[in-house]
Amino acid sequence: MKLFSRRQLPLTLGLVLATIFVVLPLGSAAEFSLREPLKNTHGFDNYTWFFVAPDFAKYLGISFGLALTSALILLVLLVPTVVWLNLGGSKYRGFVEFVSLLPLVIPVVALAIGAQTALPDFAQTNEVILAFMYAVLAVPYAYRTMDTGLRSIPLKTIVEASRGLGATWFHVLFKVIIPVIRSTVLSALFMTLALSLGEFTITSLLHWDTFTTWVTTMSQSNILGAIALSVFSLVSVFVLLLVISVFIRPTKSMVISEEN
Amino acid sequence: MSTPEVVSLDRKGAPIWGTLIGQFLKALLALAPLLVFMSIFFFAPLWAVVLDSFKSNEGNFTFANYADVFKEPIITAMRTSFGLAMVSALVSAVPGAVLAFLIESRGSDRLRQVVASISGVLANTGGVPLAFMFIASLGAEGAATGLLKAFGLDIYGAGFSLFTFWGLVLVYTYFQIPMMVIVFSPAIHGLRREWNEAARTLGATGRQFWANVGIPLLFPSFLSAFLLLFASAFSAYATARAMTNGTIALVPLMIGNLLDGNVIFDEVNLAKALAVAMIFVTLLAMVPYIVIQRRAQRWQR
Amino acid sequence: MSSTTLSLKAVSRRFKDTIALDSLDLDVAQGELVSLLGPSGCGKTTALRIIAGLDQPNSGQVFVGGENISHLPPNKRNMGMVFQSYSLFPNLTAAENVAFGLTMRGEPKRLRVQRSQELLELVGLPKHSKRYPHQLSGGQQQRVALARALAFEPDVLLLDEPLSALDAQVRANLRDEIRALQIKTGTTTIFVTHDQEEAMAMSDRVAVMNQGKISQIAKPDDLYHRPANQFVAGFVGQMNRIPARVNGTELLIAQSTATVHPLSEVNSGEGLALVRPENVVIQSLKGQQVEGNAVVISRAFLGPISKIVMRLEDGSEVSSVMTSAQSTEFLSGDSVRVSVTPGEYLLVEA
Repeated sequence: MKLFSRRQLPLTLGLVLATIFVVLPLGSAAEFSLREPLKNTHGFDNYTWFFVAPDFAKYLGISFGLALTSALILLVLLVPTVVWLNLGGSKYRGFVEFVSLLPLVIPVVALAIGAQTALPDFAQTNEVILAFMYAVLAVPYAYRTMDTGLRSIPLKTIVEASRGLGATWFHVLFKVIIPVIRSTVLSALFMTLALSLGEFTITSLLHWDTFTTWVTTMSQSNILGAIALSVFSLVSVFVLLLVISVFIRPTKSMVISEEN
Repeated sequence: MSTPEVVSLDRKGAPIWGTLIGQFLKALLALAPLLVFMSIFFFAPLWAVVLDSFKSNEGNFTFANYADVFKEPIITAMRTSFGLAMVSALVSAVPGAVLAFLIESRGSDRLRQVVASISGVLANTGGVPLAFMFIASLGAEGAATGLLKAFGLDIYGAGFSLFTFWGLVLVYTYFQIPMMVIVFSPAIHGLRREWNEAARTLGATGRQFWANVGIPLLFPSFLSAFLLLFASAFSAYATARAMTNGTIALVPLMIGNLLDGNVIFDEVNLAKALAVAMIFVTLLAMVPYIVIQRRAQRWQR
Repeated sequence: MSSTTLSLKAVSRRFKDTIALDSLDLDVAQGELVSLLGPSGCGKTTALRIIAGLDQPNSGQVFVGGENISHLPPNKRNMGMVFQSYSLFPNLTAAENVAFGLTMRGEPKRLRVQRSQELLELVGLPKHSKRYPHQLSGGQQQRVALARALAFEPDVLLLDEPLSALDAQVRANLRDEIRALQIKTGTTTIFVTHDQEEAMAMSDRVAVMNQGKISQIAKPDDLYHRPANQFVAGFVGQMNRIPARVNGTELLIAQSTATVHPLSEVNSGEGLALVRPENVVIQSLKGQQVEGNAVVISRAFLGPISKIVMRLEDGSEVSSVMTSAQSTEFLSGDSVRVSVTPGEYLLVEA
């Protein structure tokens, strides 16, 4: 826990500064969004506007759906891969790490037009293409988080123990591994959510409409409202995150090493 | 149940898979889902872009697009993009590293978890929400601007503007510092307590430990994290676009403009050439990254 | 050699609600190797870390050569320490690791190179000077760690379970080498371990610790044959607990007579006698006119000696050791007669 002892002072200081750094833009944006220039006071006008806007729920739903879908895709793809990497495939770790970092360093624009060129039919007709593209964008973080999370538990021992007791791979994956790395999985989910709510490039270049593009369009006519919305979505993600962090036990960094 | 180290035998006792080939094929199978996914939704699009970049508007093979890359105004945009990425990465790498160090070495497990989650969210906060947030806080009418004014700091009077190079750097740090924390923390995690204790019992002061052991060990990881930050800042698009609207010459923005048809329609393939040029730069940053990572891994096993 | 005496006076250390060390007193003579032996949580590692300066006691002092060093930070205590594993600096070669203490002390390069080579030869790794730790095996790494700890001629050498992470064979070899090196350099040494065989084989004296206190500190011989209390008796070596009865001045154990050890908790009536396996005598019934009082259950081959486990009439189990050659005549299921050699035995509560 945070202390104010001499040793902990740098950490506390660092955390305070970091919190200010994070909260200040957020807080000011919140204040900005609460302004009502026409009435010259503060109020929730900007917020109520978008809540009653015709397509608010529709587009929010779309973005949420996409976020969930891409989170699911990521889980299905990455959990078995990372588990395998940690169990017996450690030789290929470097390769997978490199591949997983690529989406981070490639301009999203390139990816977007590429998707349009390479998968024309799929990209034009099925909105779920976005879920897949979001998943690609999230791979670097999701992989890293899951890898770190899985490395902090004695995976090999757990798996061998449960297999020895007769569990099938399915059972091992869902009833043994995932509960242990629950918080890691949740982290990855939140990341995807943040990403999908903010993703604009691919969405607009592929001519689909999600929450983000809708907000951007709306912002042409109501900049304050759009800002309020952005603030609202960010803050909600944060609040949710913190609430869940309090209730989920952290994946303990077990001191038991695996070299016994 | 077999692990990749065990060779399966058929009924007569002969190995079905040759040991090396068998293991390789098994690895291929295990990695297949991820690789297939990446191939369809990542490599294929990129390849399409590469191919198209060599095409002229009529569809003939040409280098003309690439020739254009080296001319103005693109070359200036390249320089600006490069500069922006460098500066932003540097400005973010150091605080990020310090924060990561403090959290890893002195934070509780729960703190580490919370920080990791929050960093994940922040590192992915980009584009439109981020731009709006900063405009709302540090724009000319922004709340933070007002707050600073109340303290006597009129930043806009002094010439600051969010819509400049440095304004963009500031905005970039918002997601780059968390990225640094995420990417650099594992390196610190790998610094064993025994090394510090051994060094101290051998007579080293804190400074001597860092100079002789700590920093040499952390530096490669720091460098590779920095490279990652650079590459991601270089390719950032949405935030820049939402913030600048064409006032700053950046390559990703140019690509966007070309694609939007803001310039001339038949420059689409030029855009793709630009994209490929960008990819080339970031790949150049990634090569030293891999080399450094591989060497550092050796030490940490 | 620059070695000196080491003393701990009334050292106490508490963590939240647990007492790790309870007013510990320890005096180590110059050049002596004392082991701190005990189960997990007994405080042995805490004591070592306090000596090294890596931890501060709540009360008490540490003296080296008569001087109170309690307030000195670890880097000023001139002690060499070997950790359980992975303590070599990965970015330095073996030679550079060994020379580290000298580098920190500002010694000139020529001296550092020479001394580091000297020590690598001493630990049997003369040709490994340019290797990096990840290129060395576990045993080799620990040797380099040992060389590193000795390079600057420390006042005291501290070893924190240095062999625990190694394979059995490597462990046994290294154990003898460490002891030989320690005698050769005459360095005052504290050796922490949970392995009593290790402690008994290497030490001048062994301090058996339990719950933050020293239960008994004595030469291995004394510890084994004259345990001062029940904890030590049970912790060091193997011990049988055989139902026994006091009959006047005699102690009846499995129908043989002995006497009660004066330090026993129990002096009359019934109790359990603590008997070493080598003091349990097995007699075959073949061609003898004696009655059996036990049945052989199992035989464990331990190399030069073997251990035979038997069940007495009252159901309790007893083990005996003898040379493997002698043990072959006793087979599982045999009826035998068990007795104990005459002597004093500790009697404890049943």
